[in-house]
Amino acid sequence: MRSGTDKGMVRLLLASTTWRHWRREPRQTALLVCILALGVAVYLSIRLANRAAVASFANFAGLVTEESDWVVTATAGDLPETVLVEMREALGTRAVDLVPVLETTATPPRRSESESMGERPTFTLVGVDLVSVQNAAVGRRQDRAWFGQGTEGGGGGDATKEADAAGAALAFWSVFTNGVAVFVPEERARLDGLKVGSRMPLLINDAERELLVAGIVPRAQEGPNPPSNMLVMDLPALQAVSMRTGRLDRVEFRVAPGHGLAARRAEVRDVLARLGEGRWRLATPSERREAGETMTRAFRLNLTILSLLALLVGLYLVFQALDGAVVRRREEIGILRSLGVTATTVRRAWLAEAALLGLAGGCMGALLGWAGAQGAVRLVGRTMNALYQATNVRSASMSWEELCGALVLSVAAAVVAGWWPARVASGLPPAQVMLRHAPQPTGGAWWTRPWVGLMAMALGGVLSRLGPLRFEGGFRFPAAGYGAALAWVLGGGVVAGALLGPVARMLGRWSRRSAPVHLALAHLRRPSGRHRLAAAGLLVAVAMTSGMAILVASFDRTMRGWIERTFQADLYISSDGAQSASTQNRIPEATWRAVVNRPEVADWNVIHATPVQLGAGETILAGADLAFSRRHAPLAWRDPPEPAIWDPRLNEDLALVSEAFVERFGLGRGAVLELPTPTGTRRLRVAGVFSDYGNERGSIVVERVHYERWHGTTMASSIVLALKPGAGDEAVRSALRVAHPGLQVLTNAHLRREVLRVFRQTFAITHALELIGVVVAVAGLGMTLAAVLLERRGTLTTLRALGMTRGEMAGATAVEGMMLAGVGGMGGLVASLGLGWLLIFVVNRQTFGWTLQYTAPWATMAALMALVMASAALVSWAVGRWGADLPSDRQE
Amino acid sequence: MKGMRMRGNHCMGRLLLLAVVAGVGWFGARGQDFAPPPRTPDGFLVPQPGRRFEWPRDHGRHDGFKIEWWYVTGQLTAEDGRELGYQLTFFRNAGPTPGGGMGAAQPSLFAHAPLHLAHCAVVDVASGRFLHESRINREGWDAGASAETLKVHNGWWRLERTTSGPGPETMDLRAGVRGEASLELRLVAEKPVVVFGTNGVSRKGRDPTAASHYLTFTRLRTEGTARVGGASARVQGVSWMDHEFSSSQLEAGQSGWDWACVILDDGTEIMAYRMRREDGGTDPFSTLAWVGSDATPRHVGPDRFQWEVTGRWTSGVTGARYPNRVRLTAPAFQGTGTRALSLEPLLDAQEIVDPLGGVAYWEGACRVRDESGKVVGRAYLELAGYVGRLRDKFR
Repeated sequence: MRSGTDKGMVRLLLASTTWRHWRREPRQTALLVCILALGVAVYLSIRLANRAAVASFANFAGLVTEESDWVVTATAGDLPETVLVEMREALGTRAVDLVPVLETTATPPRRSESESMGERPTFTLVGVDLVSVQNAAVGRRQDRAWFGQGTEGGGGGDATKEADAAGAALAFWSVFTNGVAVFVPEERARLDGLKVGSRMPLLINDAERELLVAGIVPRAQEGPNPPSNMLVMDLPALQAVSMRTGRLDRVEFRVAPGHGLAARRAEVRDVLARLGEGRWRLATPSERREAGETMTRAFRLNLTILSLLALLVGLYLVFQALDGAVVRRREEIGILRSLGVTATTVRRAWLAEAALLGLAGGCMGALLGWAGAQGAVRLVGRTMNALYQATNVRSASMSWEELCGALVLSVAAAVVAGWWPARVASGLPPAQVMLRHAPQPTGGAWWTRPWVGLMAMALGGVLSRLGPLRFEGGFRFPAAGYGAALAWVLGGGVVAGALLGPVARMLGRWSRRSAPVHLALAHLRRPSGRHRLAAAGLLVAVAMTSGMAILVASFDRTMRGWIERTFQADLYISSDGAQSASTQNRIPEATWRAVVNRPEVADWNVIHATPVQLGAGETILAGADLAFSRRHAPLAWRDPPEPAIWDPRLNEDLALVSEAFVERFGLGRGAVLELPTPTGTRRLRVAGVFSDYGNERGSIVVERVHYERWHGTTMASSIVLALKPGAGDEAVRSALRVAHPGLQVLTNAHLRREVLRVFRQTFAITHALELIGVVVAVAGLGMTLAAVLLERRGTLTTLRALGMTRGEMAGATAVEGMMLAGVGGMGGLVASLGLGWLLIFVVNRQTFGWTLQYTAPWATMAALMALVMASAALVSWAVGRWGADLPSDRQE
Repeated sequence: MKGMRMRGNHCMGRLLLLAVVAGVGWFGARGQDFAPPPRTPDGFLVPQPGRRFEWPRDHGRHDGFKIEWWYVTGQLTAEDGRELGYQLTFFRNAGPTPGGGMGAAQPSLFAHAPLHLAHCAVVDVASGRFLHESRINREGWDAGASAETLKVHNGWWRLERTTSGPGPETMDLRAGVRGEASLELRLVAEKPVVVFGTNGVSRKGRDPTAASHYLTFTRLRTEGTARVGGASARVQGVSWMDHEFSSSQLEAGQSGWDWACVILDDGTEIMAYRMRREDGGTDPFSTLAWVGSDATPRHVGPDRFQWEVTGRWTSGVTGARYPNRVRLTAPAFQGTGTRALSLEPLLDAQEIVDPLGGVAYWEGACRVRDESGKVVGRAYLELAGYVGRLRDKFR
């Protein structure tokens, strides 16, 4: 009964007071909603973009039938297609469909020479036996037997007419015999204006191939859809165009449905596991997906942390705004209290108001977040492409769960932020608020004590010594490192708040002549909780931005040093189809021989690279002429190698590994690693450890001749050339481009530029998120000052009566704001030095395993400080002007 | 709806039909002075009279012909008394040109051609279940046929000659329908192989290229294991195996065919078909052949036997109305009188709807009764061309 009355009162208060305020102050209300929306939007868009970017297809069969039961992949390299005969024989009378798959990547040819790496999309070409795959599809999803379209009489509709018009090229048998037939997803066809019969030029390995669109894969009404960058070819045709005749990347197994399915599945697994011991890995598609996600998990967690930061600053602003509203509506609260409304009811009404704001902000944020995700997904996708794998997502979709999640998050954030102001509001005794000159709270709470800040910083110090969380496959996430960062900036914020008083007193000694300055300092000598919070907010934002700047600068400098040392040859050559970390385009031996035998070439190196499974984790195995790197591209050593590594006659059981490899697999110099190869497992001793900022998965490098023998291939990933004196690199590059249009030839200078560009691109999102932090912190400062001035209306009236001009009053506020910004900003800069150290030596090392050289970008930091000070001055001056006009007896 | 199904995957339908229509080689020989050209206009071999068959070589595949197929049907009784019928057919289609247009110098695990299509059906009379599955594969690792002997496979299904020594011809068969049914059988020939037609050639139309070589084991003692659902049992029974190769095409004016193989308890067998013309008549190339203990076929022309429909069944899936109850009346194998035999399906619903081929036909196990109603044998009946117009497939 009582609670019913209470609820009614809360509703009444909301309707009468809250609604009136919102109506009277539409701009402020809108601002609040926008701030919340922004926080939610940033969080949500990064989350959606993340999810979309990792959504890749772990199995092909899933597109035409139910998901495969098992997937077999080689432990190293690929599988010879003869395993199929073996597998079928071993499976005997078990009713299983085998779907052999070959995958490679392809890129449209460049439109101009000036296009930079990563600008062109990377397609995944999937080769499946278009005849036999129908066995898996039949009787289940007949609408998915799409490959029959485009052939005479099939399919029906416009596509067929066009196919007919395109002539005999698309007749049923020619799909198999012409060797260039490709099936494209509907979305790709729409994007590129492709129709049945269209020609589609693509770079595969070192040559441009003109594929013929033989059919469009329609969008499925239900079930998975092919990603727009996935193109399907007949298996033997793809084997031929990718020069991988007789090879397979994986075999998928679909156990026929029917009686005793689970038992038959298990039987198939047992047969395959026994048959392939040591030769292949057996997994379910979901296990494969998880493995793929693990690879980028650290990257995505880092992004999530940054996006949560955006929500956190949003929360901070809501707190500021609601706190300000409590001050403004103090009289009203007093009246309500004196009319007998209980403290609980007042608190509930305020919390309800916060929740309503949260709901509005959440709705708007969800919309903004969805829109933002469409942009962010490309940014995230591009970064992941550069670092990990081919993904070509262009849009992110949102589920109801995510929408509800965003709303709950927003409401919860608003309620949490509103909790303190609501408590203050309900705790105000009616008598106090009726007084004109009620003293403002001076913020004597426990959390304002400097020892709390120092304790937090000490806790951060302890956390910074802890190791990362480790995932399967050697991937790591520096949870304690982030915890340390949080503890340091929060602790720093508390300390900065505590420093406001002493600093103001110190400055007060020199500035007795200027009344506005004196006035401002007087306020700060006994700073309120709001002052402390504003300073702390600024400290956090500046520390984060500046800390990140330190990380990027250190990265930049280390990378440049590494590039200087490592890239000393003249020309770097790869397939022009190689546009991302996942490329599978190679250079055949005939081509690379033709290149290295040119008269201008003084010395050369041919490099092979392939992903390889080491225990639970995947890493990169490279084969190269090791002595070449000693002659032309000295490696930066973490652990210098034993001399035998340079001699192909002595180095067959030796390997060099990168620093990131050591970090991931814990195998340093002297350790023995068991490397799976197509010709059996090799036991290699780690002869040395080098720095490599090229990938954070780690790499193993062995002598090329051994690599070729173990893997039975001479297809190269890249060629490095040192030219004879007098042979101009640009001239040779042009000659090579003419002779081999399918090759990408970079000069030394060009390569250095590209490497740095790709590297900087990976920080693009980080920068954007950091900037939001600074903007929010300055906005928070403005709101703090507005609240403070509202509280001081009485004082302001007195000052005006004493003859203080509006300009002087605005100046006093500006000084006050600048003081806060100065203390917060300077504290932030100082904190950022520690934060930078933490990011470089803890977070980065634990995530990527790279050692960076600590570099503080002083100019950038100074510019940041100036920007913060200037914007703080501007905002506080504007607030001061507004405050100077406040009527003393204005009733809210 | 039928039209949609037929159009859905037309190319595959064409393959199947080309293969099935090759069965038109059931036609008896017409005339002794038959002298066909060596090749069809598109370069495939034409069956030639007087061919000397070599065994086991001629049980294997024949390159150069457009169509080849191996077809086994049988009826089995399980230890527990359950009755089962089965059909297993392997089709091989060379493709648009001899050699499949691939010109592959070396064998590939993924040849461009030929294509191999296979059908398997199992009928469990007691439970009324009729299960069937189709498979399609290119020649290579998962489908193929030996050129040396009978050894043909498609996925895990296979049919392989396992004869050892001078004893009777034996072959092993394994196949199944998804996870629902499986068969592992040994087939032992009780009679030598029968060559239908005249002088080794079975003509199927007026066109001299429209002919086939048609080889059959008419009586195969069958033993092995059969599983339907979770119930596995030892089975025994009798099977029929056709092997035919040709490069033939369907003639204008023909709308479909009804075919039957009959294994009588008295030790004789009958192969009969009626080629239906679009005008409703029976094509003069229809035939019935008796096989006695000497394995020499005795052909009877369409003017001397009757194919009488005694009952029909309408498919709930395709709507087709199949004449699946038949009375055959023909001159008796011995003596001067006639013999009338009634074919009665073990189950009405034995329609095969092949989503890969986009075609539907009725292929069912039947029991055979004489004039007095006594069961005197077992038969398989095939009814094709009742869904859509077969000839439309050959435009």
